[in-house]
Amino acid sequence: MTGTDTQSSFLGRISIRRNQVNAMDGSHEQEIEDLDLFQKQVSDRFAEILSAPDDTPFDAFLSISWIRKLLDVFLGCEAECKAILLMGRDAAQISKPPLDRLIPELLDRVVKALDICNAIANGLELVRHCQKLAEIAVLALEQKPFGEGQSKRAKKALVSLISAMHLDDKEGSAHKTTDRNWSFGRRGGNKDRPLFGHYKSLSWQVARNWSASKQIHAMTMNVVPPRGPEASGLPSLIFIMNLIMVFVMWVLIAAIPCQERNGLTTHLPIPKNVNWTHTLTGLLEKIGDEWKKKEKKGMAGLLFEMQKMEKLGQSLIDFTDSFQYPGEKDKVEEAAKQVAELAEVCQRMEEGLGPLQMLIREVFHRLVRSRTEILDVLDQGAKSSAPLV
Amino acid sequence: MDGCQSTIPTSEGDLHVVAAAHHIVKALGATKNLSDDLRKILIDLDAHLSMITSNTDSKGGRGFLDVEERLKQAERKILSWESDPRMIWDSGPREASEYLEAVDEIQTLVDGLQGLSVHENRKQKELIHRAMSVLQMAMSRLEEELIHIVVQHRQQFDPKYMSSRSTQTYVVYDESFVSVEDEPAEETSSRNCSSDEIGEFIVDLIHADVIPDIKSIAKVMFTSNYGPEFCEAFIGVRKEALEQYFAILDTEKLSIEDVLKLEWTNMSSKMNKWTWSMKIIVRVYLASEKQLCDQVLGDFGSVSSFCFLEISKATILCLLNFGEAVAMGPHQPEKLLRLLDMYETLADLLRDIDTLFPEEAGSFVRLQFHELLESLGDSSIAAFEAFRVAISSNGSLYPFPGGGVHPLNKYVMNYIRMFPEYCNTLNLLLKSQHADVEDQVIEPDNGPNLSLSTSCPMACHLRSITSSLESNLHRKSQLYKNEALQHIFLMNNIHYMVQKVKGSELRLFFGDEWIRKHNGKFQQHAKNYERATWSSVIYFLKDDNPGSSSLSKSTFKERCKGFSIAFEEVYKTQTSWSIPDPQLREDLRISTSLKVVLAYRTFLGRNPAHIEDKCVKHTVEHVEKLLLDLFEGSPRSLRNSRRW
Repeated sequence: MTGTDTQSSFLGRISIRRNQVNAMDGSHEQEIEDLDLFQKQVSDRFAEILSAPDDTPFDAFLSISWIRKLLDVFLGCEAECKAILLMGRDAAQISKPPLDRLIPELLDRVVKALDICNAIANGLELVRHCQKLAEIAVLALEQKPFGEGQSKRAKKALVSLISAMHLDDKEGSAHKTTDRNWSFGRRGGNKDRPLFGHYKSLSWQVARNWSASKQIHAMTMNVVPPRGPEASGLPSLIFIMNLIMVFVMWVLIAAIPCQERNGLTTHLPIPKNVNWTHTLTGLLEKIGDEWKKKEKKGMAGLLFEMQKMEKLGQSLIDFTDSFQYPGEKDKVEEAAKQVAELAEVCQRMEEGLGPLQMLIREVFHRLVRSRTEILDVLDQGAKSSAPLV
Repeated sequence: MDGCQSTIPTSEGDLHVVAAAHHIVKALGATKNLSDDLRKILIDLDAHLSMITSNTDSKGGRGFLDVEERLKQAERKILSWESDPRMIWDSGPREASEYLEAVDEIQTLVDGLQGLSVHENRKQKELIHRAMSVLQMAMSRLEEELIHIVVQHRQQFDPKYMSSRSTQTYVVYDESFVSVEDEPAEETSSRNCSSDEIGEFIVDLIHADVIPDIKSIAKVMFTSNYGPEFCEAFIGVRKEALEQYFAILDTEKLSIEDVLKLEWTNMSSKMNKWTWSMKIIVRVYLASEKQLCDQVLGDFGSVSSFCFLEISKATILCLLNFGEAVAMGPHQPEKLLRLLDMYETLADLLRDIDTLFPEEAGSFVRLQFHELLESLGDSSIAAFEAFRVAISSNGSLYPFPGGGVHPLNKYVMNYIRMFPEYCNTLNLLLKSQHADVEDQVIEPDNGPNLSLSTSCPMACHLRSITSSLESNLHRKSQLYKNEALQHIFLMNNIHYMVQKVKGSELRLFFGDEWIRKHNGKFQQHAKNYERATWSSVIYFLKDDNPGSSSLSKSTFKERCKGFSIAFEEVYKTQTSWSIPDPQLREDLRISTSLKVVLAYRTFLGRNPAHIEDKCVKHTVEHVEKLLLDLFEGSPRSLRNSRRW
């Protein structure tokens, strides 16, 4: 992969430089250079994501594979940022003001990001559930000969699918298992009632009253570009890292179902008129607009595959609603096309969700490790400076 | 029947063959002693053949009359339940089996009809669609029945009886490291239920009586190609049951941020609870769930393990996340034992997890288990290090009053007394850290009879810990201005260490040599104490001139006075000193008595002429008695005392 190549060479350069710098102890200029290089890397990488061709459905904007790319970019930036921050440095260098405030704040954000990763992992279970329902619909709709029985079967699965998607994420999270009533007055005669509801459960929750939008809000607090002499040093690096982390977590929350997204902000403190942030601003606006359109419509989120599934699902429900054997030829042909598309979406989910789940866990573990490494360096400093009695 | 595409026989001869075959099938079907499977095959074949014959008889529809009649009957059965407010399986076994028979019949008819290649036949098509519609209705109904049965017959069981010790029994070091004042509860050694306490303990999560019902529903749904619906419904209800169970265990869901904010007592009890829940969830609940899945879905290949994974994944990840959060938190020394508990629990459950999730699909869960195990191991080592650092850096500004056993010493010794229980784990974890410690603490005399337990990594670390402790106590002793008290303090503390080692399994790890050496150390401090305190006092009683028989009256008086003042001074100071161990106190008094009383008696004996003199303030007996007041930790003064 080219990404890892550039990354390793980047890290290589930094480490070589560090060794030289240590000898000379005139590190500020090097720092500026590292930072420039890092900003360029960030900018290039995000530009690559933004410019992903829309015509290949695999890499469509906000698709599963697009999000995987985004997370790869995140992991790359994270590794580089940590390298610049820690390589060749000791506690004294990273615990003087304003870093003594910035680094603990960064670590707090990391903890919040970890909870978001877990919320997203729970959300992927819902996506998976939708996939299973869509697969049932496809199975029914592909039956030959196709009759009313299969039409009803497909409709039942699709109605469940759509209602799962339209469920308010508050409903999803606030539902207590004990309140559930599985006997759901079966004699009520509502044949199309959505049957499956296992996402409406505790496993959906990160914790009671936890809210993704609040987490993002809290994470954006105090993320301000450093000014004056700090603007060229480590404070700037930490600012960039904060920004990327908040941004990526924000995209995940907007794209993938997760606990409590009401009031999710569409404003992130991305500085304007700076070269390297253009791409981020572009992405933010694009996704923010989508989100505003979508926000009130339940918890499906902006994930390309889910959007597509929703659209196809709606349209196929209409088809099954009006279907009477043998059906109008045009409509049947149109439906067959949609079924094929739905099957393809299912297939992409089948292939992509597992790796995405792993990747999110990898991000989780990486953040945990980085946090530990930073704390270790700080700890070392605390130990050596602590007075022994 | 799948793959049984018939072609329409054209000739008379063919038809005869078909008719003959039909007879044979019917005859065979009437035989008793047939296996269920075989009977089913024959019934299917029967239907199939009858359709071929009826089809050819009728030239376009009338021949389907028989089929239509059968469909109508089955349809009636299915429809009658649609308007019935009762649940079928609640209404009795006959109702249930009749319903299943009707579904079977429809399925048979559908198979038969689809098996025919004449798709142009309108009647045939109409019948297929009609049958499929009824089938859909029935499947939908079966799904509801399934959920109803699974929910209604869920077995409740109380997790409390799973463990002979309740969660409350262990008294833990809930005090933070620096604030230990009192002797920690001695009976602290009870740990979490040890690994073998909860064995593989499979329970019926759903009443055993209804398992066949669920299986029969699974069977018809899978036969009719409604397997996915069955799985989703089954996963849904079972997942919910697991979550309810999770709630019964009273395991509150916490975000990582929440966990990191917990204060220690709360954290400690949550860690305990986690260890306990983890064992019960994996060993009892998941093992039982796995069995349930296998019972219900075992006939359908990998479906069973797929469903099991889907049911259990979220809950397992939730449990693991708590572990991750704990491992991330600050590594306070007091966390060590709880971390080791968690580590051992996970290590213990690894095999269960590998058995529960043997497939590729379950590798995610297995991987997360291994990752957490590693993190907990790292955290345990970090907490161990923090423990060591805390010991060596624990500082005091003021001397510990009375020279008794210092709280730090009590804390450390009582804490490490638990370590032998974690010996294997600690050895494993400390192995990598072993080298540097070994150099620091060389046990010189172990030589040839070096036993395994005294040379294992944990033993080396233990000795290194107590040697840091000793250095720290030495530093603390320097805070006393009185040299004698320094020795009392060190004597008390080293004696305490030795007692703790001797009186527990620590003995095996410290070894006899260590004990001997440290016995020597505190005895030396006792001697030093005697010298520091009493040599100046006894000085007054000394016989400077062994030749002459007695002292002059004035010298005697002077000496007597000097002794009294010195003795009273010692009395005043050292009654407030403390030797908490009665035996040690007794020993020191005896040896002091021997020295002082003997010297005093000899002194008085040598000067019998002056004995009645007023200047002899204390009789030998008094002195002997007064010595008993020393080291009781309650200051007394002879001047104010009216005791005699």
